[in-house]
Amino acid sequence: METRPALSIQRPGARQMNICGASGALSSSSTVLPSPLTQQPSGVISPLYSNSGVAGHMFSSSSEFSTDLHFPLVQLHEQPPQSPFISQSIDSGTSASLPRSVDSGVFQSASSNHRRASNDSWCTDSLPDFLDFPLSSTIPNNHLDNNNGIVIPSENLDKPNDWPDWADQLITDNDALTSDWSQLLSDASVANPETMSSQQILETNFPVQEPHISQQLPTTSGETCNAAGQSSSANSASAKQRMRWTPELHEAFVDAVNKLGGSERATPKGVLKLMKVEGLTIYHVKSHLQKYRTARYKPETTEEAEKKLTSIEELSSLDLKTGIELTEALRLQMEVQKRLHEQLEIQRNLQLRIEEQGRYLQMMFEKQCKSGMDLMKGTSVTNENPLKESAEAAQNSLSNNNLEVESDNSKTKLSNVAATSGETSQPAKEKQIALETAVLENLEEDDTDVADSPSSKRVKVDRYERTNNP
Amino acid sequence: MKFGKRLKQQIEQSLPGWRDYFLSYKDLKKLVRLISSASPPLECGKAEAEFVCLLNDEIDKFNSFFMEQEEDFIIHHKELQQRIEKVMENGIEKDYKEELAKIRKDIVNFHGEMVLLMNYSNINYTGLAKILKKYDKRTGGVLRLPFIQKVLEQPFFTTDLISKLIKECENTLDSVFPPSVSDAGTLRGEKEALALAGEGIFQNTVAALLTMQEMRRGSSTHSHFSLPPLKFPDSDILHTLQILPPIQIP
Repeated sequence: METRPALSIQRPGARQMNICGASGALSSSSTVLPSPLTQQPSGVISPLYSNSGVAGHMFSSSSEFSTDLHFPLVQLHEQPPQSPFISQSIDSGTSASLPRSVDSGVFQSASSNHRRASNDSWCTDSLPDFLDFPLSSTIPNNHLDNNNGIVIPSENLDKPNDWPDWADQLITDNDALTSDWSQLLSDASVANPETMSSQQILETNFPVQEPHISQQLPTTSGETCNAAGQSSSANSASAKQRMRWTPELHEAFVDAVNKLGGSERATPKGVLKLMKVEGLTIYHVKSHLQKYRTARYKPETTEEAEKKLTSIEELSSLDLKTGIELTEALRLQMEVQKRLHEQLEIQRNLQLRIEEQGRYLQMMFEKQCKSGMDLMKGTSVTNENPLKESAEAAQNSLSNNNLEVESDNSKTKLSNVAATSGETSQPAKEKQIALETAVLENLEEDDTDVADSPSSKRVKVDRYERTNNP
Repeated sequence: MKFGKRLKQQIEQSLPGWRDYFLSYKDLKKLVRLISSASPPLECGKAEAEFVCLLNDEIDKFNSFFMEQEEDFIIHHKELQQRIEKVMENGIEKDYKEELAKIRKDIVNFHGEMVLLMNYSNINYTGLAKILKKYDKRTGGVLRLPFIQKVLEQPFFTTDLISKLIKECENTLDSVFPPSVSDAGTLRGEKEALALAGEGIFQNTVAALLTMQEMRRGSSTHSHFSLPPLKFPDSDILHTLQILPPIQIP
């Protein structure tokens, strides 16, 4: 294959990109699929590209990987192979749901509507392993904390001849591997403005995304999340690889900018070097700097404009009266906003809890199913429904209880603009916590009696309901 | 169609730059209907794959929009803090008063925008959950639970940072606003608030609150995954504050 020779030239980390690039190119035109891929029984649709999957991991345990140049290789050895597959959700529902003979046709039709590619943390370790790696392994989906999606090779993918160029650009584009990388990249991308524009093309053709972020991030570093924008908007290429900024990161940014003499004089490269944050690229800094500049200059210019427009009459005592009214208006607006915020928080917590319970109950249900199957093979089906009903009942009572508690306490009357909302949130929170603990205790109780027959379980739930609904 | 209608309303009433980034609920619903009506078992896998793919695309859309806004908010927040510090140091000058008034307005609008972003996150999540529920119902699939677990971890749903910024905003209010006056000022305040309409933010906030209330008014398909109804004790006031869209003359 023409791809092979090019692969061998590339740098180690880059290899995985090339692989991804290669397979990306290959999968777009089904004829070029290398034979090993098509023969695999696990029904690979197309290999998934990920660099930020790597990044995601990097940031979740940044100390481990940060200094290791060969980190992609290391990491992938450590982790169980993450095979390309369609989605976690599918696999949990239907194993190997995809027909083997799946052709790129399916995805080309989908891709004509939605050109973006989801990725998975697929990339392999080293070249020789590449062909063996993803396909013969089983698909352990659930441990993946990355977002899974399908790679949809864009129909705009160039002919396979072009991919070596892309591969180069993929390297320069990839920012998330190691600190060394970011240095190399910043130099490369700054030194070569052409690369930027070709990156745009690249990203159009091979959009990458990794919407997932790890929750255990160190607060000082941001996270690199690849979130592909619309593939049609190639002009906003800087938005493709998204960095999730935090206030701490921004502080570091501001410090660096100030050291360099202010937002006008600071250059992205300088700021990047000063900040010394892994995974941050010149790209991110550049766009952030732009935003920063706009934010600073906009208020100043509008202020000046306002001053020019201010006529003498407005400076009279009328101003003061309007000032008071304005303040009151602002207060009212604030109250409404606070109210909305409060409700959103409550709603969000409820949603989280509902899902948590759903998951927990599902687990219990599965457990019971298993034990049920062992004991009474034929009746496992009938066990389902009563359990589900009691689960629903439990959840219902839970949600109802919580919400009644919350809305009783959030009686911020809008007619009274005095800010009492601060006071009401505290008792609400306390009740919420008390209720949560009560629920958890009850649920734990249920857990120990998993082997019980459904009727006794229902009794338990009823009891729980009764205690919570006096 | 109730949620769909509500969502559409919300979108129409949302800030102009935001309108393209909401969930394409209607389209997804259509797809679910298509899938359920025309899918022999062989096709199911493919169809589900496509569906999931579309959902992922939607999620990407949310994520990138959300993170973009979040970044702007972080920058703006810092700016506001600096401005407040500067003003506090300055003592009583004419400029100071003007700047303070401006800062007040900015803080409130900033706060409002952030809350609206949370609302954005929430409504899109709700839409996703509903679509998934529909999908499972129609196709007998089990897509919902695992997919939602994944959604819960997405940037657009992990709004802790925004929440924190909002609270910080609320805390700085006391230092920037004079102590609250008696009720006498409030009626005037309402009218002024309407007049201000803070770049549409206030309008949007009211709309969002009311929509939320409407959406949770107990539906026919109430289940264990439904949220219980909301009761606002003073929703009548909210209604008077609502600015209805102008009647369009064809």
